[in-house]
Amino acid sequence: MNTLAVVITTPPYSPLTATAVNYVETALEAGIKLVGVFFYQDGAMHANEHISIATDEYQAIFHWQRLQQKYSVPLHVCATAAEKRGVILGELTDEVVNKSFTVSGLGELVELTSKASRLVQF
Amino acid sequence: MHSQAQNTLPNTSKKVNNEAGLAIINSKAPYSSHYGKDALDVALIFGSYEQKVSLFFQGDGVHQLIAKQDTSLLSIKDYLKTFAAFEFYDIEHVYACQQSLLTRKLEPSFHITDVQVLSTTEFSAALNHINMYCGFKT
Amino acid sequence: MSTLHLVRQSAFATNDFAQCLNVVNQNDAIVLMDDGCYNVNHTLINNLLKQVGDNINLVASHAKARAIEANKMIKLIEMADVVTLTFIHSKVITWQ
Repeated sequence: MNTLAVVITTPPYSPLTATAVNYVETALEAGIKLVGVFFYQDGAMHANEHISIATDEYQAIFHWQRLQQKYSVPLHVCATAAEKRGVILGELTDEVVNKSFTVSGLGELVELTSKASRLVQF
Repeated sequence: MHSQAQNTLPNTSKKVNNEAGLAIINSKAPYSSHYGKDALDVALIFGSYEQKVSLFFQGDGVHQLIAKQDTSLLSIKDYLKTFAAFEFYDIEHVYACQQSLLTRKLEPSFHITDVQVLSTTEFSAALNHINMYCGFKT
Repeated sequence: MSTLHLVRQSAFATNDFAQCLNVVNQNDAIVLMDDGCYNVNHTLINNLLKQVGDNINLVASHAKARAIEANKMIKLIEMADVVTLTFIHSKVITWQ
């Protein structure tokens, strides 16, 4: 079986993220096993519950949630990258981190790449 | 294995990493973006999990390797000094693009040992041999 | 081993495409996507053609959105083909 891990480093308001979601969804529809998506650098912003994108613009976070629910894709956000971008962890984690995301360390990236035959970055 | 001679490029036997592992290309200068530090963090975490990592420095990324820089004159964190830990994390392969050095009038004088300066052909061949890639603003 | 290169930036704006050319090997494949589509009209495309021949692909919807027309030497593909190419080549490098 073809296995894939994806790293996202672009923020939710970037048009480049729409392409990334399109690639990921296309891979899932093709039956590729996506072992997980790791959100790093500016990609960590996708996990921020308080990000609000105008309704007539591309809703990246909604699409990640939709894919997570439909295909059970694990969405991992790098803890350090998230905190740097205002996703406060600790007591406020439940209020600040979008429920579809798991807060992980950078080690999770190593785990994902060890389980996947391909790593693609967007 | 690698000379630190000021005026000549090292004449070394180019050991190419022919194994499974991760390649990371650094192409940004050290002090005006976080890409170098982020790449370093990923390199070290893979190294700490005993995964083989090879680091490639090209374009402005070669500036991350150059000796005699002084980060203390800036207010930012000196992450370049952590490069000295590469050996401790078993990051054995550090490649610098010769053409990038020449274009920037840089001597192959680095703040770490064991940097392999490669020609364009050797650099792409070395990258070709590695089976996984992670990049930060390549 | 061969590599799939995803080029997402315009060579008229950044040097990502030039850096990609620096490391490309003859069995590699390139996908021009997002602003990488603009590179079909950049002089560097001729260098790339010499290195990888007919292994240059252009994501059709991204090109058409930008009113970029492909030429005979460059294959128009869809996102499903990008996924397929991911598993044909040993690894993927994203130039963004």
